[in-house]
Amino acid sequence: MTAVFSSTSQMMRQVIYALVLGISAAYAFFGWGIIVQIFLAVVVAIAVEATFLKIRKHPIKPAIADGSAILTAILLAISIPSIAPWWIVVVGVSFAIIFGKQLYGGLGNNPFNPAMLGYAFLLISYPLPMTTWASEFVNFSQAFDVIFNLNSNMVDALSGATRLDDVKIQLSLGKMMSELNLHSSAQAWINAGFLLGGLYLLARRVIFWHIPAAFLSGIIVTAFLVSLGDGEYLPVQNHLMLGATMLGAFFIATDPVSASTTPKGRLIYGFLIGVLIVIIRTFGGYPDGVAFAVLLMNIVVPLIDYYTQPKVFGK
Amino acid sequence: MASYAFKGGVHIPNPYPIKKPEVKQVAPPEQAALFLQQRAGGEQKPCVKVGDKVLTGQVIAKTSGKYPSYTHASISGVVLAIEKRPIPHPSGIDGVCIVIDSDGKDKWIEIEKCDQDFLRCAPSKVIQRIREAGIVGMGGAGFPTHAKISNAQGAQTLIVNATECEPGIMCDDALMQHYPREIIRGVEVLMHGCGAKKAIIAIEDDKQEAFNSLLMYNFNAHIEIVQIPTKYTSGAEKILIKTLLDIEIPSGEFASDYGVLCQNVGTVKAIYDAVIDNKPLISRIVTVTGSAVKEPRNYEARLGTSFASVVAQSKPNNKVHQIRMGGMMMGVDVPNIEHSIGKITNCIFVNNATLKPSVQSCIRCGQCNEVCPVGLLPQQLFWYAKSENMDRAMDYNLRDCIECRCCDIVCPSHIPLAQYFSFAKALHCKQTKEQQKADVARERFEFKEFRVERNKAERSEMMARKKEELKKKMAEDKTQKDKIAQAVARVKNKGALKK
Repeated sequence: MTAVFSSTSQMMRQVIYALVLGISAAYAFFGWGIIVQIFLAVVVAIAVEATFLKIRKHPIKPAIADGSAILTAILLAISIPSIAPWWIVVVGVSFAIIFGKQLYGGLGNNPFNPAMLGYAFLLISYPLPMTTWASEFVNFSQAFDVIFNLNSNMVDALSGATRLDDVKIQLSLGKMMSELNLHSSAQAWINAGFLLGGLYLLARRVIFWHIPAAFLSGIIVTAFLVSLGDGEYLPVQNHLMLGATMLGAFFIATDPVSASTTPKGRLIYGFLIGVLIVIIRTFGGYPDGVAFAVLLMNIVVPLIDYYTQPKVFGK
Repeated sequence: MASYAFKGGVHIPNPYPIKKPEVKQVAPPEQAALFLQQRAGGEQKPCVKVGDKVLTGQVIAKTSGKYPSYTHASISGVVLAIEKRPIPHPSGIDGVCIVIDSDGKDKWIEIEKCDQDFLRCAPSKVIQRIREAGIVGMGGAGFPTHAKISNAQGAQTLIVNATECEPGIMCDDALMQHYPREIIRGVEVLMHGCGAKKAIIAIEDDKQEAFNSLLMYNFNAHIEIVQIPTKYTSGAEKILIKTLLDIEIPSGEFASDYGVLCQNVGTVKAIYDAVIDNKPLISRIVTVTGSAVKEPRNYEARLGTSFASVVAQSKPNNKVHQIRMGGMMMGVDVPNIEHSIGKITNCIFVNNATLKPSVQSCIRCGQCNEVCPVGLLPQQLFWYAKSENMDRAMDYNLRDCIECRCCDIVCPSHIPLAQYFSFAKALHCKQTKEQQKADVARERFEFKEFRVERNKAERSEMMARKKEELKKKMAEDKTQKDKIAQAVARVKNKGALKK
């Protein structure tokens, strides 16, 4: 039986609902920051999208109603540190909507995942605020203060390094894996939340199993191979439950517009993203590799699609 | 037992189901309008004049040529008009119709009976009877049946398509419940006609009653009746052949190339009528259904009966209607109800007019890939069809699209994909033709250039040769002259010596 979605907006809404669990987990551990960021991002996304549609002389209402801009905004908002200053999310979302989507001709025409384009842009341009994460629960007024820069001492009080970054620094300082206190339960819970949301999307047939399965296999295989080498490396299970792994596998890499669309192509696409993520995390200079891995693979999607066409009836 | 599953397709339940599909007989109409445009072989030529008296079953129009076909009077009476009327086509174009005014008697013409059992007749005789009865594919394709049988001579397997996979249509279901004996007999006739040793009647598994009734009348060990899963496009000819026989026939090739003949169950019943009952095709079963009718039902009506008169019996509401001929998937929307039932009118949808949902951008979600029964990537094809990039569209196997509209149904952005593909195919066809013309013109031009060049070259060569010859001749002449001069000199010398 085939799922029939009554509209594109309905599909987008399903994805947004599926994000709720992961967002709730992030809220439970790190507090109000993420909620404020999402709210801010959505407002900015709608404003920017509307402005650009007006400039392009396209109808505004249906494009806003399709929910794609809102989804992009939410994905970007949950990818950045929850205590990042307000202008980070404003700049990032604007970049994502303008350069990631509207300049290519709007929904359906963008070769890159807009949210990840925005994220990569922010990470390269503003590395410090983009790697300063909350280390404890942040209440509403604290979140407000830190995001809108009302109390300059607040950031230091609330922040810590990115977990994956921290691991890499510690390892490079010669510590053994067993000596590290990973504090990873929060990350694991958040990842579990996105995993469950992802399974919901699979069950509703909004996404297909190929990309997430291949993505996670790519991570497992590569992380295992890397762990065979000399020295101390992050074990496979931590690769799966730290950072943006589950968000990436079920929500980012599966963005249909910029992903491969053939069954075989989806497997190749997902697997190579997984491989690239572990390589970037292990040998690269950035804490997490989901955004770069996805963007790199976005480039090769047309090629993959062309050479992985399914067998046609009778041929 | 085989699972009879196929890849792709969509399951759509009948939107307006009825408990027991009965067949209501519709009295012969006061006026019958029979249109002469055929699916293959062009428009038929009338062989009666306005004012002529005609009897039921009398031939009133025919074509000869590659696909000869006949139209018979469906009622007795007087030819009232031969004029252009709108035919069931999305564009609302007109076609020639013969209009007969009934005399109310329904008097049949004497038809020569086949005095022998059909099994003793030569297959060619059986095919001839099918041709003269004016039978065409009644599942909606409308291709002349006799031509299809002739092409499939020596077929191994006859497949009777009783899937009726288009949601909403119930005419074959009703037909099978009402005429099981005739259908089985018709299958035997057809097997004799094409020489097949084996026949398979395929029915979707949601038509249990029809299956049972056929089973009850089947005493022929060579006829197998199978149930296949209810899923749309199960009845597309090549998909059905793949399901039943596991043979995949590529686009551009035909079932007959693989020893298979496929016929619709309604056609089989018409063949029974023609060969055993000596009746030409003058009536058919039509489903009337849709959101605007209170009583969806099947009607057995004479050809030429107006849509309006059968629809009225299903109690339509008073709202604005959208009329569709054929199934909800592959049928055609017609502008109004001013049409009459033809040989391929299997269903009339009468829906309350609604606004179509607005089209959104393609987000490449891939739902269409999942349902395409021929394994295409409709979203990629859409991209190239839209940008009219025909080379790429061909790379993505545009040609193989069967326009079943499964992709349309699941598209969350409501893009009329099949429409784009049908357009792209037409465009490709046109471009190919233009390309061929251009090629021919270019070749002709190039040949002309070559010819001019060649002529020039030949001429200059000839000139050179002539010059050469002239020179030689002149040289020869010179030696000759010299010789003469010498001789003269010699003679002179001699004379001088003598002196």
